[in-house]
Amino acid sequence: MTATDSADTAGEVVYQTTVTSIGEQVPAFVAAGILILFADTAPEELHAISVLHQADAQESGPQPGDLIEIAGTTIPVLAVGHVVADNLLNLGHMDLKSDGRHQVKLPGDVCVPVGSLVEPKVGDTIRIRRRVPTGAETGASA
Amino acid sequence: MSDYKSVTITKGQGGWGGPLTVTPTDDKPLIYSVTGGGIHPVAQRIADLTGGEAFDGFKSSAPFEKIAVAVIDCGGTARVGVYPMKKVLTVDIHATSPGGPLAQFITEELFVSGVRPHDINET
Repeated sequence: MTATDSADTAGEVVYQTTVTSIGEQVPAFVAAGILILFADTAPEELHAISVLHQADAQESGPQPGDLIEIAGTTIPVLAVGHVVADNLLNLGHMDLKSDGRHQVKLPGDVCVPVGSLVEPKVGDTIRIRRRVPTGAETGASA
Repeated sequence: MSDYKSVTITKGQGGWGGPLTVTPTDDKPLIYSVTGGGIHPVAQRIADLTGGEAFDGFKSSAPFEKIAVAVIDCGGTARVGVYPMKKVLTVDIHATSPGGPLAQFITEELFVSGVRPHDINET
């Protein structure tokens, strides 16, 4: 995937995945401003806290300025920690934090605006769209 | 009966917690790698020095009570808490400090971070 999908709205999809299950502790985590994703191959002890999913396209981890779509809700990415890309591309793992920060607190954080997180449902699609030119990539993609 | 040895795992640069002493047993033989890209070199070294069994947690599932130590590449929120919460000795290869919603469970007795292969030594 190199072409831009649509000139006005969105930009290139760099990650796309389908939700396969929602852990029982996910609503409490979302209420606390945290959404944890793991690939559905993750070990069982991580299922309770996680949204499990099966990736359809994985080209790159998120970058500041990207848009994350969860079940039709679009969330701007404010800041991204330095281990995020590896974790997402290797393990399908990402920690979204609705802390409104523009600098990450932890190396695995993906910071988004306060109150912006939504809880997905099984079967929903999660996408990361890149608005900036691909030439601006940081080299984080595999 | 297997003949297991002990290792001491100290925190790496910028890391937190520990040192941990890990000794696998017949009941808890697994050096459990919950990391990207297969068994991490840190987990492999612990297995090599102790005689424990390196195990890829993303490839197949292990009985939780058989884990001697969990090796993670966690960015500070989820796995850093899940394993200590379950009282499993936990080694993070990233230099994280207690944080995230499960921070209360992360103690120096259970957790060490910033660990590289040369931070693991025979006891």
